[in-house]
Parts: sequence; C-alpha cells; structure tokens
Amino acid sequence: MLLLCLLILSTGGCGGTKDGAEEVSLQGAGATFPYPLYSKWISEYHKVNARVRLDYQSIGSGGGIKQLTERTVDFGASDVPMTDEQLRTAAKEVLHIPSALGAVAVIYNLPGVASGLKITSDLLADIFLGKITKWNHPGISAHNPGVSMPNADILVVHRTDGSGTTAVFVDYLNKVSSEWVGRVGRGTSVNWPAGIGGKGNEGVAGQVKQTAGSIGYVELAYAEQNQIAYAEIRNRSGIFLKPSVANITAAAASMSAQVPDDLRVSITDAEGPAVYPISALTYILVFREQVDEQKGKAVGDFLWWAIHDGQKFTGPLQYAPLPDDLVKKTETRLRLLSFNNQPLLHR
Amino acid sequence: MIDPLRYRKVVNGVMTGATFICALAVLAILFAILGYIVAQGIAALNIDFLTKLPKPVGESGGGIAHAIVGSMLLIGIAILLGLPSGILAGLYLAEFGKNKLGRFIEFVTDILAGTPSIIVGIFAYTLIVLPMKRFSAFAGGAALALIMIPIITRTTQEIIQLVPQTLREGALALGAPQWRVTLGVVLRSAAGGVATGVMLAIARVAGETAPLLFTALGSHHWSTALDRPVASLTVTIYDYAKAPYDDWHAQAWAGALVLVMMIGMTNLAVRLFTHSRYSGTHP
Repeated sequence: MLLLCLLILSTGGCGGTKDGAEEVSLQGAGATFPYPLYSKWISEYHKVNARVRLDYQSIGSGGGIKQLTERTVDFGASDVPMTDEQLRTAAKEVLHIPSALGAVAVIYNLPGVASGLKITSDLLADIFLGKITKWNHPGISAHNPGVSMPNADILVVHRTDGSGTTAVFVDYLNKVSSEWVGRVGRGTSVNWPAGIGGKGNEGVAGQVKQTAGSIGYVELAYAEQNQIAYAEIRNRSGIFLKPSVANITAAAASMSAQVPDDLRVSITDAEGPAVYPISALTYILVFREQVDEQKGKAVGDFLWWAIHDGQKFTGPLQYAPLPDDLVKKTETRLRLLSFNNQPLLHR
Repeated sequence: MIDPLRYRKVVNGVMTGATFICALAVLAILFAILGYIVAQGIAALNIDFLTKLPKPVGESGGGIAHAIVGSMLLIGIAILLGLPSGILAGLYLAEFGKNKLGRFIEFVTDILAGTPSIIVGIFAYTLIVLPMKRFSAFAGGAALALIMIPIITRTTQEIIQLVPQTLREGALALGAPQWRVTLGVVLRSAAGGVATGVMLAIARVAGETAPLLFTALGSHHWSTALDRPVASLTVTIYDYAKAPYDDWHAQAWAGALVLVMMIGMTNLAVRLFTHSRYSGTHP
C-alpha cells in the first residue's frame, strides 16, 4: 500500500509542476469574516491577471495563523493581529497587511422594539457581565425615551468557538469597562460570565433570531443579511451610531496617527464624533522573506491590487475601505516583501 | 375472568400495532428529512448548478461542478487506496486468521471503525499535509480510505465466512492449489456481498466532511491534481451554509440534494447489482 501511495504521489507531483510553469497558484486560508470579500477578489483578480490562480478557504482566524506558521499555505488571514508569542512561534518575520475594515454589530430580538436601540458602553458591559438582567432596566430606558421596554429577561448569546469577532468585541469591552478587565479579559474565546453559546456568526445570529429577549454580537454582514435588529452604540464623543461604511472608516482614520510600523493595531473605541466604536481591521498575513520567487511576486502583486483597486468591492459587501493614509503605510510594509533578501515589488 | 385466548389476541394486536407505528415513525423521519432537502434544494438546482464554477457572492448563478468532480476524485483515491487492503485483510481474517494474530487484527479493525472521522482527519493532516507542506486531494483521499478500510474488511470477512466449507473442499479435492481456491472460488462466490460492502463504504465516506476540512481543504477552481487542494460537496455545503448570504444558503441546500441523490443512487445500484447478478449464489 505504501508503494502505491508513493506511485500516486509521484505522478500527482509531476502533474502539479507541469501546471506550475504556466500559472502560479496561491493558497490562502484563515478568517471567516472577510471570506465573501476575498471570494469576490479572487474572481475579480482573475480578470486582471489570469496567470495567477488564487484560492482561499475560511477556516477561522486561529486556523489562518496556524497554517501560515506551519507553512501549509502561501498566505494566512486573521481578524486579530498575531500576538508576540505567535510571532515568536512563526520564527520568521510576518507582515500584517490590512485588507479591509469591518464592524461587530450588537444584535437583539425584542418584539415591538425596532432596530436602533441606544446602548452605552457601560450598559453593554453590564449586560454581558450579567449584571443587567431585565430589558426594562432604568439605565436602558433612560437612553431610549419613547421606547416602551418590555419587562423581559435578557438572554445573552455569545460565541462558543474561538473567533476574531469575539476578540474584537471583548477588546472593546476591555477598553470601556475596568470590571471586564478584571473578570473576563481578552482573547478569541473568553470565559463568559453570562448567557448561552452559539457556534459561529451564523449560530449566534440564529439563536438571537429565534429567541425573544436575546442579545448577541455578530459581524455586520450577518445582521444586515438576516435582517436582525442591531443597536446604536455610544462612542467616545457621546454620539449614538449604527455601524456603517463611513463610521467604520472614520474609526480607522482617527486611529491612523497611533498605528505602529508593523500595523498591528486595535481600532475599537476610537476618538471622534463619527466613529462606530466596535470596528476592526482584518489582515492578510505573509512571511516577509518568501521561499519561492514566483509565488512571492504573485502574492505581492495581488496584495498591492487588493489594497488599491480591490477596495472598491468592499462597500457592497458591508465592509469599509481602508483610509488613504493607512494604504500609504501598508504600501511601505508591502515593499519589504523579499526573496533572497532582494525586494520583490518595484513600485 | 378474562378469556386467556382473547387476552393473547389483544396483546398480540397491541404489540403489532406498536411495532407498526414505530416503523412508520422511522419512515416518517426519513421522508421528512428527504422531503425537506428536496423542497429547499430544488429551487437552486439547474443545469448551470451542475456544470458551472461558483460565482462570488452578490452575483447570481454559478454552480458547484468543481465540488462534484472533486468529491468523485476523492472517493476515487479512497477506493484505490482502501479497496485492495480492505478486501485482502477481510480475506485473510476469514480464511487464515483463526489465530491470535487474526483476533488481534479483528480487534484493531473494530477500533479503527469506531474512530471518530475528525481524528482520522487530524491523523492525515499530521502525517501527510504537514510533511508535504500543502493541503492536497491525496491527503483527503487517504483520510477517506482509512475510514473505508475497516468497513470493507469486516463485511468481506463476514461474507466470506458464509461461503460453504464444502465448496473449498471440493475445489481442493479437484487439485486446485490453495491460492486458486481462495481467489478463484471463495472470493468469487462471495463477490456480490463484497461489492455490497464496498458500495456501503463508498456511501459512508461520500458524506464525510470532518476528515476533509484539514486535508483536501477546498477550492474554488477545477482541479484534478493530486497534490493540490480540491473542493468536495460536503465541505462546500458546510462553507455555504454558514455564510450570511441567502443565495449561498439556497446553493447549500441544492448541494445537499445532489449529495443525497448521489448516495441514494449508490445504494440503489447495490440493490440492483446484488439482486440481478448474484441472487442465486448470494449467501
């Protein structure tokens, strides 16, 4: 049987290399959140450069980081920057290339209450800490005059699986609530003090849609596509805002001064009147030093296209384009991409 | 006093009724699932769906032809790797395995058959994907083969044990060597049953998702290269079902319908095959 395996493997290997001479195939894997955007990019980029065959599989942010580290894929993708420890495990320098912006929407199911319930950061933290348990809590009513809040229990729905969405959401709660820092903390999956779990964005969206009195958090596209009511969140300027393309871009723009050179940054709870506070960057991850010149060049060209021409595809899919100064910073990082210590991009 | 005969008749009637209702319940569940898949999937099922590549979200149309081809490729690899070793192992256990080694192999086969398929996937990932530094159709097919082998081994063994001992003795008495008896007489007369086992194993792995997630991974393109990731129906359904878009949900249902039909046809083929050709000799 082993012999048979080897035989098949060698013939398969030959077929692969023959194809490789005419086209470059690039394999990516990682975050679920930007998957629709990347699948659009794959089809659009094929029209621009038919020689490159791109493929992307949505296996989750953690999976993207792991598979990049194992070098089973040509690029990874994650909604959260790699931690220092993960970067140490990867051994070689990894470039974080922001590809688009997104937002986490706070969704709820309250019969008789329309979309756009106003929620402050304190209330949000207290609800997810399990301290506010009734929808007619005076704190909620105070910000929603004219809305008759039902005397119903609040059911918190959170993610059970490790997820970039959770990381962004709890990153925000960490910034606005000192009690959250002490009791729960950060991460792609945390020890939730209250509520029930759902698997994946679709799981949480499904739970909330079916259960009256529930509240949860999902990526904006899931709230929009499933027509679930979502909240306006109060930002640092005291203004209640729903997530929108403009509000998400504003969050990134207001943070641009603080973006470090390696582009690993959190843009939650950003300063500014037009900022939606639970916004996030999503990244494509590549090794700075590429091991294959052809592939390295192809990855570089694709990413260059993605942060420029590719940005126009973000809006219709509920993502926001990168602000201009972040694009400039990303260009600088992308130029570092190299093979044998020689830069691969000459732009 | 109740008439004992009457009492018996009443109990008999009640119990028959109960079994009938239970059988009906099982059938109802089966038909509910099938009916729901057909009702949900038929809308998105058309020629384009079966022959075209997927379109990105937001553009209507497109299909899952690459996943149908990919699934067949994966099953093909699994058959190539799993069928010979499965049948030969079954043959060994039935004909020569009446000893300690045989009982040990039997035990190991049973454990392998009970291994959760995700574990098999991780196994293939560690042993094939990591050293090759790439996800590949070969890794996916190998994982499926590992799931097939114990099923084929055990059915083959059981079928061959049903071949009458007199047949073996007759062949040996006519001067045929042992290998000839085993391959030409025993295995041949059990062929129908062995084929059934193989088909059942195929139907079983055709519906597997977990072992493919980290081996064959998935793809948006045509691919028949063994050293590249390849799409499969099951993984495609999984991906589409968890996306937020309605047209992807519709395609996931249609994909489920295609998968159920493919497995259904395999099972039907088994029935026809075993009935028409081997109804006489089939043990």
